[in-house]
Amino acid sequence: MSHDQAGACIEDPPPDSGGGIPRLARAQLHEVHADGVDWAGALAFGLGAMDADGRKPVLLLRTRRRGAAMVPYGAGFAALGIDPARLVIIDARDDAALLRAGLDAARSSGPAAVIVESWGRLREYDMVASRRLILAAERSRIPVVMLRGDADPRPSAAHTRWTVSTAPSVPLEPRAPGPPALLVELVRRRGGPAGMRWRLEWNDEHGGFRDIPLDHANAAADVDADDRAGERAAPLSGAVVPLPALRTGAPLRRIA
Amino acid sequence: MPDGEGPQALFARDGQALRLAAVDVAAVRQGLGAGMTLADARARCPDLATAPHDPVADVRALERLAGAMIAFTPLVSLDAPDGVVLDVTGCAHLFGGEAALVRAVLAATGHAVRHALAPHVAAARALARFGGGTDVRALPVSALELDAEALSGLRRAGLETLGDLASRPMAGLAARFGELAVTRLRAILGEAGSPVAPLRLADPIRLETRFPEPLARTDDALDVIEDLLVQASRTMEQRQLGGRRFLVTLHRTDNARRRLAVETGLAVRDPAAVMRLLRERIDTLSDPLDPGFGFDAITLAVLGAQHLPSRQIMLEDGREENADDVAALVDQLSVRMGEDSVRRLAPRDRHLPEKAQALVPALRLRNVQWPPPEDVPPRPLLLLDPPQEVDVIAGVPDSPPQRFRWKGRLHDVTLAEGPERIGAEWWRRRGGHMPGGAGETRDYYRIEDADGRRYWIFRHGLFSEKPDPRWYLHGLFP
Repeated sequence: MSHDQAGACIEDPPPDSGGGIPRLARAQLHEVHADGVDWAGALAFGLGAMDADGRKPVLLLRTRRRGAAMVPYGAGFAALGIDPARLVIIDARDDAALLRAGLDAARSSGPAAVIVESWGRLREYDMVASRRLILAAERSRIPVVMLRGDADPRPSAAHTRWTVSTAPSVPLEPRAPGPPALLVELVRRRGGPAGMRWRLEWNDEHGGFRDIPLDHANAAADVDADDRAGERAAPLSGAVVPLPALRTGAPLRRIA
Repeated sequence: MPDGEGPQALFARDGQALRLAAVDVAAVRQGLGAGMTLADARARCPDLATAPHDPVADVRALERLAGAMIAFTPLVSLDAPDGVVLDVTGCAHLFGGEAALVRAVLAATGHAVRHALAPHVAAARALARFGGGTDVRALPVSALELDAEALSGLRRAGLETLGDLASRPMAGLAARFGELAVTRLRAILGEAGSPVAPLRLADPIRLETRFPEPLARTDDALDVIEDLLVQASRTMEQRQLGGRRFLVTLHRTDNARRRLAVETGLAVRDPAAVMRLLRERIDTLSDPLDPGFGFDAITLAVLGAQHLPSRQIMLEDGREENADDVAALVDQLSVRMGEDSVRRLAPRDRHLPEKAQALVPALRLRNVQWPPPEDVPPRPLLLLDPPQEVDVIAGVPDSPPQRFRWKGRLHDVTLAEGPERIGAEWWRRRGGHMPGGAGETRDYYRIEDADGRRYWIFRHGLFSEKPDPRWYLHGLFP
């Protein structure tokens, strides 16, 4: 057995390592589901929660969409602590080209992280494709994040699956929108408990997300927001594919 | 040079005056010369055509000329600012004698030139610039190119030609007119050496393989190309070069040629990296690489070579360590999907938010620096391009929206911040400084709706500018 495989198994950190904040760990494939209107939130979660080298380029792969384009805006990335100069934006012609480019990007150890924006059903993304992405990510030890917009979950081999929506912010005086706030749910996790939910708020001072307990005083106002997220998350459970947490026998015994 | 038949001249600013920097033969016949003020020259020669002098272009032209002279001799050196020295020792017989060589060189220059042949460089240079013939002793003392004081001193002493000087004892000349005078005199007379520092033109990296039998399989051809790349990388390694453009030409037996060109963002010489790009290029070809009856020959040319120092070699596999792996990835994806599909964000010094950045092909962009975040209200993460028109209910004149309809859905605004007023770029508009010509001001609001989503919305125009300004959604905040 190669060193890589054993390493990936042992080092699989729980997704909430680091003070209860959800993290998108290195050398893993993560799926982030979000609605189109929550796209900025999904992207911010991908960028803010990923475990990545802070200087290397971040690859953002997209397909060309009809209609109004959502262009990444440099000043907005700077506000999330990502130097816009690190961003490499790759526009693929179609979904197949997107996945192929994503695989090439995941194989390269140059980038800090690979974020793939996909929309709709994404027929080409199946067990085999996701497995390939995982093998590539394990080799290059970078996080690979699949953003799935307006999509039903499909069976895949991804390590974690999240749903993200923007949450009402804590208002600033006088009645101005506060810092970015997200509602995040860990829908599925290979070989671990899932179903945890977080309410994250961007902390400008420390440059990262921080957790605001869901039963926090100001969360009372957001009950309907939680309900909404619950509705959205509901159909996800049916598509979960039972997968062994670990691929090989030896580390399984070790951990068990 | 300016166009036209008549006398022509280039002028340059010298303090407060415009002076002629260069004149053509027709102007010389009219009595004009370099150094004359433009006003004087115009008075003497009203039909003088002039253009400003561009010294940089002159240098380039001279380098081009020197490069062309390589056809006649391998030893060419520049004699700035306007001369070229050719060492034609042993070359004349190839062109049918010295006279024929001179004719060929003069025809090749394409300029009005003066020339001279002499046994050594200093003499040839002095003869070409300060007189003709072949007798250096008949040259005027100005050929020593001393300063005006020393020259007038020589003339006052009755010394008019180099021959006069040469017959005097050198020690006395050195004492009176400086050592430079003696050094130059001895060089022109040939008593001291005047070495040439020839231009060294790097020969292009171009490799060719010819086959005794045509190569019928594409895979074999790729193996040969890889072999050529390995050889080229050795050459480049020795010269500390890397290629930015690689051109492979496949010559087919039926005389058809297929060209495969790949371009990289950074200079590379790793054969495997170039090979990967070439395979990508072959994959993207609309018609496959058809060997037909086989390839006769394959050539590889490395174009656009740049300095690329050697790097640490990895112990395990002997490859050069690839420091910037993303550059290789960018090259690969640019070849496959087109360079317009792999882009980076570059800041631009513009006022309007959507113009303040540009997506630039990553191959073309190096070392972009973003300014540190300014103290402005927050900017969205995603910008809608173009801005989406929305129906808005808002107070008049300067209130944030209370409710808006986007894509058929009604959004109630709960929190709002603004306005941030961003004026039009009136300085870029024709008549923008006139009242009413500036274009419409935008009032941006950062709003949050009842669902907790944050948007960037603006009213296009103030109520004082137009009666019914429209609202647009311009960005999404996380």
